[in-house]
Amino acid sequence: MTPRQLPHHRSSKLQAPSSKLLPFLMASHIPNLNTLRRGRGRGRGLGRTEETGLPSGKDRIVQGTDNDASVSRLSAVELGYLDDAYAAALTPPGPPRAPGTYARTTAIDQLVARFLGPYSPGNTHKKQIISLGAGSDTRVFRLLSSRQTPDFVYHELDFAVNTAEKIRTIRSAPVLQRALGIDSSEVSSEKHTRVAVSEAGDALHSPSYHIHPVDLRSLSTCSNPASALPGVETGLPTLLISECCLVYLSPIEAEEVVAFFTQRLFGHGRAVPGHGDSSQEAQVGVAPLGLVLYEPIRPNDAFGRTMVSNLAARGIQLKTLPRYASLGAQRDRFREQGFGNGQAVADIEFIWKRWVNEDEKERVAGLEMLDEMEEWQLLARHYCIAWGWRDREDVSAFAGWKDLEAQQGE
Amino acid sequence: MSDLDRAIEQLRACRLIPESQVRELCYKARELLIEEGNVVSVDAPVTICGDIHGQFHDLMELFRVGGDVPDTNYLFMGDFVDRGFYSLESFLLLLCLKVRYPDRITLIRGNHESRQITTVYGFYDECIRKYGSANVWRYCCEVFDYLALGAIVLGASSELEPTSNPALSSMPIDDSELETEVLNSRGEVTMSTYRARQRSSSDASTDSRNISPPRDISAAPGQAAAPLRSGAPGTGASGDGNGSAVTSRTGAVLCVHGGLSPLIDSVDKIRLIDRKQEVPHEGAMCDLLWSDPDEIEGWGLSPRGAGFLFGGDIVKQFNHLNGLSLVARAHQLVMEGYKEMFDGGIVTVWSAPNYCYRCGNVAAILELGEDTSGGGTVARSNGEYGRSNGVVTNNRVVSPGRRYRVFEAAAQDTRGMPAKKPVADYFLT
Repeated sequence: MTPRQLPHHRSSKLQAPSSKLLPFLMASHIPNLNTLRRGRGRGRGLGRTEETGLPSGKDRIVQGTDNDASVSRLSAVELGYLDDAYAAALTPPGPPRAPGTYARTTAIDQLVARFLGPYSPGNTHKKQIISLGAGSDTRVFRLLSSRQTPDFVYHELDFAVNTAEKIRTIRSAPVLQRALGIDSSEVSSEKHTRVAVSEAGDALHSPSYHIHPVDLRSLSTCSNPASALPGVETGLPTLLISECCLVYLSPIEAEEVVAFFTQRLFGHGRAVPGHGDSSQEAQVGVAPLGLVLYEPIRPNDAFGRTMVSNLAARGIQLKTLPRYASLGAQRDRFREQGFGNGQAVADIEFIWKRWVNEDEKERVAGLEMLDEMEEWQLLARHYCIAWGWRDREDVSAFAGWKDLEAQQGE
Repeated sequence: MSDLDRAIEQLRACRLIPESQVRELCYKARELLIEEGNVVSVDAPVTICGDIHGQFHDLMELFRVGGDVPDTNYLFMGDFVDRGFYSLESFLLLLCLKVRYPDRITLIRGNHESRQITTVYGFYDECIRKYGSANVWRYCCEVFDYLALGAIVLGASSELEPTSNPALSSMPIDDSELETEVLNSRGEVTMSTYRARQRSSSDASTDSRNISPPRDISAAPGQAAAPLRSGAPGTGASGDGNGSAVTSRTGAVLCVHGGLSPLIDSVDKIRLIDRKQEVPHEGAMCDLLWSDPDEIEGWGLSPRGAGFLFGGDIVKQFNHLNGLSLVARAHQLVMEGYKEMFDGGIVTVWSAPNYCYRCGNVAAILELGEDTSGGGTVARSNGEYGRSNGVVTNNRVVSPGRRYRVFEAAAQDTRGMPAKKPVADYFLT
């Protein structure tokens, strides 16, 4: 999508591509974002609302949790668990926490791969992924580099402060630019229009990758769903991903975010003018929609209670956790919130045991002398991946999910 | 007051001693440890402790619950350092106590007492942070190389002296003896099991009676209560006896940090290891510090990438051939603080409550009482008797009475925590 196609109120924020893209070449002038972020995200500033327009202290604590995730991702890569050429570019330094990230990333990768299907050059069945609270996640870069001509559109939604930081990082990291298909000749070209960044530096739009600065809680009250997320194509089979994102919202807010997608944006007969199947009314044109969650679970045993209180001491509240405390509660959630064709869940320990093959387990076991086995198991039992979907009779976008092994019981 | 006593006092207050004093301490400790064999002999009564991992305030709680040095005789099964924020204070205090009261405290080596592991899991960084250089880390690592690999506890009583407990005294315990008792940190009994006295039959069945409800349950809800196991605990390694038991002849207890090794079939083989080195990546010494018992048969690969998994048959055979009644080990976090496996042939003791400040577990120490029945001294030739013909005959070993004291994390811990350090690492995004 080019800037011309963007809704009016957005395009006013966009600058001429050439001037905005120049900094891509000037990495040495970019301050170290991780250092800046450290100072800002944690410690003294907590609990205070600063300049107008910036999120409150509590939001910033949640924004800061992205650090935890990116540090884990990088150590998993450095130790050889994961192959991710982009983690180093998006991660501040920190302690190792590799195996859990390995299981979680591998599981979501698998769900995503089965949703996208095998890549083939002639594939015309485009698909769409919307990542909620994406933070410094690297998945889009890995997908873009693994599929020659992108057969998908990838959207990342996060607080403006996080998206702006990610866009700054992309500008300073040639490895990320290459994954987006921007090479230096294109960047220097005056006519280049493939990538556009908003004036505030917090939104990015390109043919296959969009970064949206948005507070998810504002979606439920927005009057025009399509304009809230420019570039989202409501006719495409779509996968929503929430990796520890919705869990920070209140149960009602989290439910409203999901409903925004299931009912309004991809809803029944409310297709948005100017997009895809807008001429079709009602149920017929409803796009296949899936949701993958990665969240803590089981807050009520000794480990879970300690986890909840430790996080509370850091100002982090996992607000939906009491409501979706068990595997069963997660399944019910999907059933009740618009994913009627399938609901499944498995904790990370189960995924490690059943989804990771023995060769891979052996490889991972050999990477380092691991002295965290029991601790790891405890941790792994307290995080789950849950997934559910609604299909359309003629388009079975989630067929590949049906034979994935889910965990039974609570 | 000697310098050593002053250092002990200072460390007890969680204040470090000067680098020069650490150097001197480590030198003295090495001189002591070099004289110890790979397998130290320890006489009961003794209190056996598992991993500490730099949780200094919890170590203080352990001493409060288990009694102070030198009043109580302690055996620590390694992993003094790493993970927690006070590895230095914890290890140096234990080392001071070792030098001051060499016969009242035994330290054996854990897999974290290693150069390689401490550079990954925190002790190295702590030394740099607190002393400004790697000198103290180096002194400590040199001590690690001299720590014993295991210990043998001799002369433990098969029968526990009951703690003064009104609930107990009213119980009819005719013809049975107290075998296991679990106490909470206030010394209240939360569980007891009894073993029938040796009868002429060959069965050594265990009679289990839970004292319920635990008396402290209302005062300390949740994890405060010690675990109440529904099944009978260990029946001891006495399955093949033929009746004429001498109750005083309690089998020896082998204490080791991790577990057994496929290269080690007798306690004597441990004595042959050249231990004064960094923990190797493989081999017998590595296995003793890294292996874990598991519900398998025989040996298995360890998911840790070092050591092995070993099953109940391996433990039973090892205990039988070596005249042992119990292997006590640490190394694995257990939420209840201790865990007996394989009919009581092996126990895991874990002494770091709320491990890493995030696991929510309770901790335990294991007390083995002294045999005062006058049945004579136990053969000290661990591993010698019973091996003569390759067959063990008339050699009934009785499991020692075991008293577990279960305790929770010290309240001070969070207060003393360095402010900058995030409380705990969880996978979040």
